[in-house]
Amino acid sequence: MQPEKFYYDNKIVRDFGIATVLWGIIGMTVGLIAAIQLYHPGANMHNQYTTFGRIRPLHTNAVVFAFVGNAIFMGVYYSLQRLLKARMFSDALSNIHFWGWQLIIVSAVITLPLGLTTSHEYAELEWPIDIAITVIWVVFGINMFGTIFKRRERHLYVAIWFYIATFVTIAVLHVVNSFELPVSAFKSYMVYAGVQDALVQWWYGHNAVAFFLTTPYLGMMYYFLPKMANRPIYSYKLSILHFWALIFIYIWAGPHHLLYTTLPGWAQSLGVAFSIMLIAPSWGGMINGLLTLRGAWDKVRDDVILKFMVVALTAYGMATFEGPMLSLKQINSIAHFSDWIIAHVHVGALGWNGFLTFAVLYWLIPRIYKTELFSKKLASFHFWVGTLGIIFYAVPMYWAGFTQSLMLKEFTPEGMLKYPNFLETTLQILPMHIMRSVGGAMYLLGVIVMAYNLLKTAKQGSLVANEAAQAMPLEPVHTIARESGWHRRLERKPIQLMIAALIVILIGTFVELMPTLTISSNIPTIASVKPYTSLELQGRDLYIREGCSNCHSQTVRPFRSETERYGEYSKAGEFVYDHPFLWGSKRTGPDLARIGGKYGNAWHYNHLMDPRLMSPGSIMPEYSWLLTQTLDTTTTRAKIHAMRTLGVPYPVGYENLANADLDEQAKAIAGDLAKDHIKIKSDKEVIAIIAYLQRLGMDIKANKTDKN
Amino acid sequence: MKYQRVILLFALLFTAGPTMAANDSLIPGDLMNYIGYGAVVFMLLLLIIVLLVLLKTTKILTRIILKSEGYTEQEIKKQLAPEKAPAKPKGNVWIKLMSLRPLSEEKDMIMEHEYDGIQELDNPTPAWFMYLFYGTIIFGIGYLLNYHVFHTGQLQYAEYKTEVAQADIAKKAFLSKSANRVDENTVKLVSDPAVISAGQGIFKTNCVACHGDNAQGMVGPNLTDDFWLHGSKINDLFKTIKYGVAAKGMPTWEKILSPKQIADVANYVKSLHGTNPAGAKEPQGTKETDSKLASN
Repeated sequence: MQPEKFYYDNKIVRDFGIATVLWGIIGMTVGLIAAIQLYHPGANMHNQYTTFGRIRPLHTNAVVFAFVGNAIFMGVYYSLQRLLKARMFSDALSNIHFWGWQLIIVSAVITLPLGLTTSHEYAELEWPIDIAITVIWVVFGINMFGTIFKRRERHLYVAIWFYIATFVTIAVLHVVNSFELPVSAFKSYMVYAGVQDALVQWWYGHNAVAFFLTTPYLGMMYYFLPKMANRPIYSYKLSILHFWALIFIYIWAGPHHLLYTTLPGWAQSLGVAFSIMLIAPSWGGMINGLLTLRGAWDKVRDDVILKFMVVALTAYGMATFEGPMLSLKQINSIAHFSDWIIAHVHVGALGWNGFLTFAVLYWLIPRIYKTELFSKKLASFHFWVGTLGIIFYAVPMYWAGFTQSLMLKEFTPEGMLKYPNFLETTLQILPMHIMRSVGGAMYLLGVIVMAYNLLKTAKQGSLVANEAAQAMPLEPVHTIARESGWHRRLERKPIQLMIAALIVILIGTFVELMPTLTISSNIPTIASVKPYTSLELQGRDLYIREGCSNCHSQTVRPFRSETERYGEYSKAGEFVYDHPFLWGSKRTGPDLARIGGKYGNAWHYNHLMDPRLMSPGSIMPEYSWLLTQTLDTTTTRAKIHAMRTLGVPYPVGYENLANADLDEQAKAIAGDLAKDHIKIKSDKEVIAIIAYLQRLGMDIKANKTDKN
Repeated sequence: MKYQRVILLFALLFTAGPTMAANDSLIPGDLMNYIGYGAVVFMLLLLIIVLLVLLKTTKILTRIILKSEGYTEQEIKKQLAPEKAPAKPKGNVWIKLMSLRPLSEEKDMIMEHEYDGIQELDNPTPAWFMYLFYGTIIFGIGYLLNYHVFHTGQLQYAEYKTEVAQADIAKKAFLSKSANRVDENTVKLVSDPAVISAGQGIFKTNCVACHGDNAQGMVGPNLTDDFWLHGSKINDLFKTIKYGVAAKGMPTWEKILSPKQIADVANYVKSLHGTNPAGAKEPQGTKETDSKLASN
């Protein structure tokens, strides 16, 4: 047989590379602006579109799906072709994939600042964009499997197992977490409510970390690290063990994001137990990487690319050990809702994802441009400023999280909270937040230097758009001898491998999701909990639009320090009409689950206009636009209708009365404000959001009064 | 040393920050804080620079001293950077701990396949790794058994009950020993300056947002006139502060202020009667003609 000649597509790799760097800089800059707002609220430029609640999701989406996303596709398109000895299946699909993905990101950059969001973390994009993501993901899948089918290498290398697992799992996660009922072109309600919605969201959120930030990167590590170090992979057996163990166990761990909430105890415990079991499978990747460097450590001293890889693997090891520890109840009770978690995720994101991406870029760009890296010195500078940046970022955040959590839990001997005013604890950690933004700025500086270095590299070389290669075609299957290992046999059957991976991840999914979604006894109902009035519902949507849940939780955990501060702990039955749930995951400000009735309407009005009027030193942004913008009531009817479709028991025909009802309640609030000499028309947005805030937690209080 | 002076100067500036802010300086407290934080960051950076300079200086000094003592350039170099003892062959302990095979055996372990030049070794999974894995699985099973089969561990709501019960016992024990047991029935009107100034402090941090700096009234009512919404007796004030008036937007303070603190601030408010502050809000509530007398 004659070897076949073919060409690798390097242009698509280059395109994804450019997108990676570009979106990386944008996403991190947005993150820096958000970080500065946490000690200098004026950094929102007094503009609703650049205020923390709206740009924090923009930051996370940009760095996760734009920076890391493009880096994944860059790495996959480069390594897949070479591991399979074949050009990508279809250039047209490659280009549709590239431009489609960029378009999705651009639509995120437009819609998120406009406040069009589902409020589900890392899945904020509204339903039309969700559909676009699905389509593009399928395009990616077809292109990948098409390439696999026309391969000239019989067996699939471990990197490709990880790519396949990434593809199927992200598909499942994205589809299930996007069950939304559209209300209008850019507004939808989640199909699940309350506890169920929370479980689905964190099953998704946790596994987005697992299958978007971890498995594709492990795949890339398995290709690029041995290439960079010119060393064999340490252990094939370890690859097999940790691959299957990782994808099987990871999917179960989601509930550790919901410890001490109203999620049923058994689900919480499963989350904890599987999180602990996750340590070894996660570390399997790290040791297989680090031991691959065995015998090449002298190279690490000189080669900046390997330095990036070593820090990336170490950061991965640290984050995947810390994660299971954070899921232990005792540690979680301190760390959850605090800056500790921000430190944790950034060790993973900046160290593991960031540094591995940089290493791949530094390695790959000179190769596809047939040249040397423009400046090793600049790359070395990038490495050091980046590493210092991570330290300057993480250490203050650990410190801040620990300090604030302990302050919030401290009691005086009289049995009173030592710091009853939440703000006191916030002010305590502001210096840490300042330090954090310095660390972030250093890291960003490194990326900008890298962009310059890579640009110069590209300019001094020229792109080899189609790289010539040759390989023997595959022999017919019947000619190969039966192989001894079952896994070895599986490695040449891509479809079976995909199905096996799918089954493995569906086991945990079904065991955890199914009972919670279908057995009603898991969510005890409370008779006094009633649907929101039309005005409150509109107010709630404003709360979602402004991204309030990025800083305020709505779930009181059963701790004395929380029930003293906020009131009775939350009950599952309180959230049955919450499409979507708004429990939040971070308390930059206090919990709001029981804020209703705590302050007067005038207090809320003044506080939203300028938080520092009522709470001197507060870092909450001013929501002055709520005072001037008129509430859009044309949507009320559709919203009530959609809610009823989802099972919220509004009386028949309520949608026809909804706006009259809304006016009446709004006028009452405006009238009450007028008593305090606040002149505001009843049709302004602020009235709706006050109505919603004043409702929070009131149903349970009403229950109490009834019983008395 | 000239650096000492610089450090001292900054140390002074930093310690002076809070005192200056407290003295109503022209610079707002916020800005003062930022200057303070800036100074801290600057100090740290400076410290690093100073240390580096010092290190360099000692090196140069040693060189000069050694030169004056007649050492040759080569000897000096040797003194400053003594050759490291040849590194011991990588500890066998490490290799044993990691249960690794010596690198020399590697060529026998190379597997026959390769992908784009990437080879794989047929190393077994390290023993310690397997122990770790089995250990965590046993932990996971033990965890579930502990909470859901044998019920030896407390789940969150039981844990909460225990926590609150323990705190109640500790609180009762503490309060029985202290004079902190005042309530709306036993509170007394006093004009002890210590009480009034303690009350003033509490008022400044908690009440001015709604009642104004001088209790002249803003969102909340004027507290210095003869008109009262919820009674003017010290007992009434105590009660209003303690339980709040939800309908009017007055928060409940019993979880935030101790009984003693509520008594202090109530007494402070009583002491403000008739002060006629500037910008007073118009009267609200009913006139209590002789409120001083009624309060006793």
